[in-house]
Amino acid sequence: MKEKINLDMPEVQPREQRLGTIIAWDGDIDELHRQSDFIGRAGCDRNAACKLCELRGPFSQGSVCSEQMVECQAGNVRDAVLIQHAPIGCGAGQVPYNSIYRNGLAMRGHKVENIRIINTNLSEDDVVFGAADKLRMAIDDAWTRYKPKAIFIATSCATGIIGEDVDSIAREKQEELNIPVIPMACEGFRSKHWSTGFDATQHGILRQIVNNHPHKQEDLVNVINLWGSDVFTPMLANLNLRVNYVIDLASVDDLARMSEAAATVGFCYTLSSYLAAALEEHFGVPEVKAPMPYGFAGTDAWLRELARITHREELAEKYIKAEHARVHPRIAELKKKLKGVKGYVATGSAYSHGLIQVLRELEVKVNGSLVFHHDPVYDSGDEQEDSLGHLLKHYGNVENFHVSNRQQYQLYAFLQKVHPDFMLIRHNGLAPLASRLGIPAAPLGDEHIAIGYQGIINLGETILDILARKKYHDSIKKHVTLPYTDWWLKQEDAYILAR
Amino acid sequence: MSTIIEQPRHGCALSAQQTVLAIPRAMPIVHAGPGCASKSFGFAATGAGFQGEGYAGGSHISSTNTGEQEVIFGGESSLDKEIKGALQILDGDMFVVLTGCTSDIVGDDSQSIAEKYAAEGYPVVGTETAGFKGNSYYGHEIVIKAIIEQFVGKVIPKVRRGLVNVFATVPFQDPFWRGDLEEIKRILTKIGLEVNILFGNESAGVSEWQDIPNAQFNLLVSPSTGTEVVKLLEEKYQTPYLQYPILPVGGAETSRFLREISVFAGLSAVRTEKVIKEEEKRFYDYLVSVSDFIGEYWNNLPIDLYTVGDSIYAPGVSSFLVNELGLEPKGIYLTDEPKEDWQTVITDALAERDTRLKTSLVFENDGGSVEADIRQKSDRTRHSIILGSSWEKFLALDIGSLYAYLSLPLDETVILNNSYVGYNGGLRLIEEVYSAVFKCRPATARSIY
Repeated sequence: MKEKINLDMPEVQPREQRLGTIIAWDGDIDELHRQSDFIGRAGCDRNAACKLCELRGPFSQGSVCSEQMVECQAGNVRDAVLIQHAPIGCGAGQVPYNSIYRNGLAMRGHKVENIRIINTNLSEDDVVFGAADKLRMAIDDAWTRYKPKAIFIATSCATGIIGEDVDSIAREKQEELNIPVIPMACEGFRSKHWSTGFDATQHGILRQIVNNHPHKQEDLVNVINLWGSDVFTPMLANLNLRVNYVIDLASVDDLARMSEAAATVGFCYTLSSYLAAALEEHFGVPEVKAPMPYGFAGTDAWLRELARITHREELAEKYIKAEHARVHPRIAELKKKLKGVKGYVATGSAYSHGLIQVLRELEVKVNGSLVFHHDPVYDSGDEQEDSLGHLLKHYGNVENFHVSNRQQYQLYAFLQKVHPDFMLIRHNGLAPLASRLGIPAAPLGDEHIAIGYQGIINLGETILDILARKKYHDSIKKHVTLPYTDWWLKQEDAYILAR
Repeated sequence: MSTIIEQPRHGCALSAQQTVLAIPRAMPIVHAGPGCASKSFGFAATGAGFQGEGYAGGSHISSTNTGEQEVIFGGESSLDKEIKGALQILDGDMFVVLTGCTSDIVGDDSQSIAEKYAAEGYPVVGTETAGFKGNSYYGHEIVIKAIIEQFVGKVIPKVRRGLVNVFATVPFQDPFWRGDLEEIKRILTKIGLEVNILFGNESAGVSEWQDIPNAQFNLLVSPSTGTEVVKLLEEKYQTPYLQYPILPVGGAETSRFLREISVFAGLSAVRTEKVIKEEEKRFYDYLVSVSDFIGEYWNNLPIDLYTVGDSIYAPGVSSFLVNELGLEPKGIYLTDEPKEDWQTVITDALAERDTRLKTSLVFENDGGSVEADIRQKSDRTRHSIILGSSWEKFLALDIGSLYAYLSLPLDETVILNNSYVGYNGGLRLIEEVYSAVFKCRPATARSIY
């Protein structure tokens, strides 16, 4: 069931309202899929009679906020500047995101430079009297220092609560400077899950940067991704298609020309859901609605759907056949080496579905996974995007499936139940606990590592690499004390306080 | 100082969660938005040479992750439940509540909730650390003062002669804090003091904090942050304090440091002089041994010095490099927003050590302005070195300067037990500054044996 994306509102609608997103749940994939009711759009906040209910307890550990996702997307646009209208603490994120940005620029062959984020360093007076002039000044400084092609403005908890009128200042400055000045409502408190920050950035770009009068390019494909290595250019070249990577590491012009593309693809519906659906609905760029490109079944279906939309079926079949033949021998070797190994996946929602598929292609046993949140449906509402359903149908159930928004204390209990040999992690913070329990973990910094046919090989090799470091983890395990009480460490049910 | 900040060097007051974590088995409880704890941690621990979560940091930190509900209806009951849960789940000796922008703007009475638990006998302390109230240095003082007021509390001091509480650099904001505090404790112990170092491995944890009122005196090794703490202790427990306004780095300054403390504490001058003699012999033996290198590579060595760091650390390091290694100070950028009367203390301390140190002093919190100033001053025809953060590394590579690491953020190096303080720290700094000659670019023009 499709619901219209509203680009007239200055603020994006949070995920829990649009999609019924939850951040705490306990069970297995079979049950989660049933309760999610992809077509019926179940959700905790949507209906009076809750069909998919959260198990939220009284205690929680620090998570991530939407503004951080804005930093890592809008902050990574090459010729733009991001202003954080916020106290300096929000600016603390600039350091890791600069590191990611520089790394990404190097991987994609761009000139390596620093991230351009300006913080307005709000003080107590600003919170009492408002800081409109400070924001105006920051915009002027951004212009003087960098002459950017666009200026993004991220709001903060402080500006959100005091009701700072960022929208009208942005409008005023946009007219004055004649470049897009884009406010993004990404206060940490606005959404229970940080993936709303992806949507906030995408919403702003859709409203103010994407070209409304495009000249269509029949061989251009928008690839919605982060800062990962360039695996799509060579892959899509086999279909005579060119890649337009968005949003990270893109230029403002790249963002504007999204409307010129023949199709939009993603590698993770958590990230691409909003932008891809809105590009189709408001700019007529078809979204490739298919399982995500992980494992043979997913990649085959994804390529075929892209080929169908761009009329390149023959090229796709040729490529699929050649790739199957190329990767099969190495995958067979990896399967032998990984025989009997058990893995655990702790990542964002849709990404976990993809990784489990790849692990099962490698015949690695997966009997547990943690996802930071769960979207019962994606924005397009198209069943072809039911990534959880695809995993269940082609690769079977995962018995211990938990929605837990980076809650270390719960992860301990999960791991006691499944005893994996290694863990795959996205968003670090969970890796140290795994290490302390003697479990080697690979934080997947390059999100493209497991994509497509080559991704199956890449992931297999990564696992062998991390298993090789087992001794280090064993020595840590011997010397570590966990910061939890004996009472908690004995609990088998990680959600006991929530029931 | 600028209104806006690029290339930040510190977090907000809530970053003082790291101050709590620096006390063995103490734990923060953050009552703030969902990103605050992880941002503070990412900056101050990961960004301090990957210091890691330690016993209870990183994603172990409890946080109410305030949402729209708490903003509209207030977050007091969330905090209440969070503290209750933390006491049940987390194994700690002290819990410090730190509030963020959300709770402080909507007006949660977080303090009363913390007090309720304290009244029931739980080791819970309340603080208000909203980001708009100040930076991480400010937060550090707030947290220490709150622990003293609420956890150590009203006691009658039983003063032990020779016992000293040390307040020096800000843990994590000083990326070398673990090594620095070990060295300070080492040399003070050697001249006959019993030391409450309060943070890090050498601290006994909360029992040491409870011992604070019993000290003969407090030692403040800082021109700025920490001043309010020693004043509070003077008022509360009548403990006198000695402020040493510059970090002792290298032979000359560390010896002066020990002599002043020795006199203030009424220690045996004979013993102190014996320690100084021993330490100096070792220190200068090493220093002399580097002269062969200097003879060989004289035309590669840095002359112009730029230092970017906080007012506790950067002046001491700069003074050592100028006074003992002969570098020429071109810019000393202090980024921690010290108050005006603190600025006077800093300026006076530097002027006394070399007037060029005073004239090259700049108070600037905006990394963008620091970068612009160094670019404008830098002279490619002269060899220079920039001591600073990862931001300065990128700048140094761009303008052909050498670089060494001094201040946050440092996310391109691993720091375990490093230090630039005292005699040992001075030696380590010499290694860093001279090794930069080879690390930053190919060194040339060796003479022939």
